[in-house]
Amino acid sequence: MLSAEKNERLTRVGPGTPMGELLRRYWWPVATHDMATRVPVKRRLLGEDLVLFRDGSGTVGLLAEQCPHRRAALWLGCTEEEGLRCGYHGWRFSATGECLEQPGEPADSTFKNRIRATAYPVQELGGLVFAYLGPLPAPELPRYDLFVWDDAWRDIGHAELPCNFVQIMENSVDPYHVEWLHGRYGSFLRELGGAAAPLPVVTKKHVKVAFEVFEHGILKRRVLEGHTEEDEDWKVGHPLVFPHMLRVGAAGLATFQIRVPIDDENTWHVWYQTYRPDGGAPPQSSIPVYEIPLVDERGEYLRDYVDGQDIVAWITQGRISDRTKEHLGRSDLGVIMLRKLYAEQMDAVARGEDPLCTYREPHDVIDLPMERDKFGSAVEFRQLWTRESSVRYSPIRDQVLELFGDPVPAWT
Amino acid sequence: MRFCPGCGAALGEAAFVQEYWVAADRHVVCWCPACSVMCTVVLAAALVGTEPEH
Ligand code: FES
Ligand SMILES: [Fe+2]
Repeated sequence: MLSAEKNERLTRVGPGTPMGELLRRYWWPVATHDMATRVPVKRRLLGEDLVLFRDGSGTVGLLAEQCPHRRAALWLGCTEEEGLRCGYHGWRFSATGECLEQPGEPADSTFKNRIRATAYPVQELGGLVFAYLGPLPAPELPRYDLFVWDDAWRDIGHAELPCNFVQIMENSVDPYHVEWLHGRYGSFLRELGGAAAPLPVVTKKHVKVAFEVFEHGILKRRVLEGHTEEDEDWKVGHPLVFPHMLRVGAAGLATFQIRVPIDDENTWHVWYQTYRPDGGAPPQSSIPVYEIPLVDERGEYLRDYVDGQDIVAWITQGRISDRTKEHLGRSDLGVIMLRKLYAEQMDAVARGEDPLCTYREPHDVIDLPMERDKFGSAVEFRQLWTRESSVRYSPIRDQVLELFGDPVPAWT
Repeated sequence: MRFCPGCGAALGEAAFVQEYWVAADRHVVCWCPACSVMCTVVLAAALVGTEPEH
């Protein structure tokens, strides 16, 4: 249980809040590559309204939504060869926020030199557009392995979820939920639907779990029934990458789940997949992007697959989970460790230090640990994940199945 | 601008005082609700004289 004050401290992401200040020390995906075009679009990140665009020269810019002139939204604008022109009176701004032109002002006016739009640095990597909203100088954009491999296929699913990001992150240090939410509940739905066999893999019972804070966040290990500490689930584990990602997968199929706070009550969830069979994948011309639906045609939350089950568990905790009413048990040690880590890192920022996972040196790649054989075998895990996760919505799912060439499992 | 250039009344909450720039000059538009004068005060970077045709 947390006091109302502690819950507020943990979950508020706006400017000037302790968590908001911590989160502003990191680069955040603000869009997928296909959203940054000549047509300016509205985005919202950490409680700030923004406009994303790509000008005629290819420069991507991210400005505060409202024009410094008379506050019209800059998505009502036209991209020019250089910069974005406000649609209302034509003031033009560069990607770095300079006011380049004020067509209605006298020709000899120097007024524009005194005007700036709020602009944030952006960088593109791995099919995502990353933004940094914090104090300058910005740290390096971390080049995590999945974003930079040149011999992998990728696809990116995404959805806006109506809840705070912390309850989603807490799910990533909650290994037991797998056997219940995905194992038992998932199989229950199959029973109701007439399927005889429960799901494999996710129904395995946990014998032991462990969490440790390490350089990339929190490393999570588990021993499942019938397995030992020699199995990679324990020996290697996989990380919650601080402050905002889960790394999950098995050999050849490595994914990030990226939890991007839109504001206190909404999260942009990005499912970032890489497909990299032994020997690598052939070149991919562009990275497909797709939306993950939350509801079926009757407006009911989709729950018949792993990520749908997770989503409903997250959302039904409330917009911001009321942690004054929760009851944590021993099986929630990972959750407590994560909250402690957030609190420590907020304090580090308040002291003027760089928080965990800040990179100041240029680097080629940051390799993260992850099991090759997960929950038993990589093949079984891939068979499950390519059918029962958000990957089922991927426009390249059939090609992915072919790429791996795994046999069709008996349980389908 | 804290006082009306026309009547000298204080330019309080109800008044409009709006500064803008023309080249290097600061222009301040003032509207005084006490005497309803609307005028522009120019704080010029340089005083420029023009010679009319003669
Ligand atoms: S409001 Fe943007 S140019 Fe006037
Ligand atoms: Fe889950």
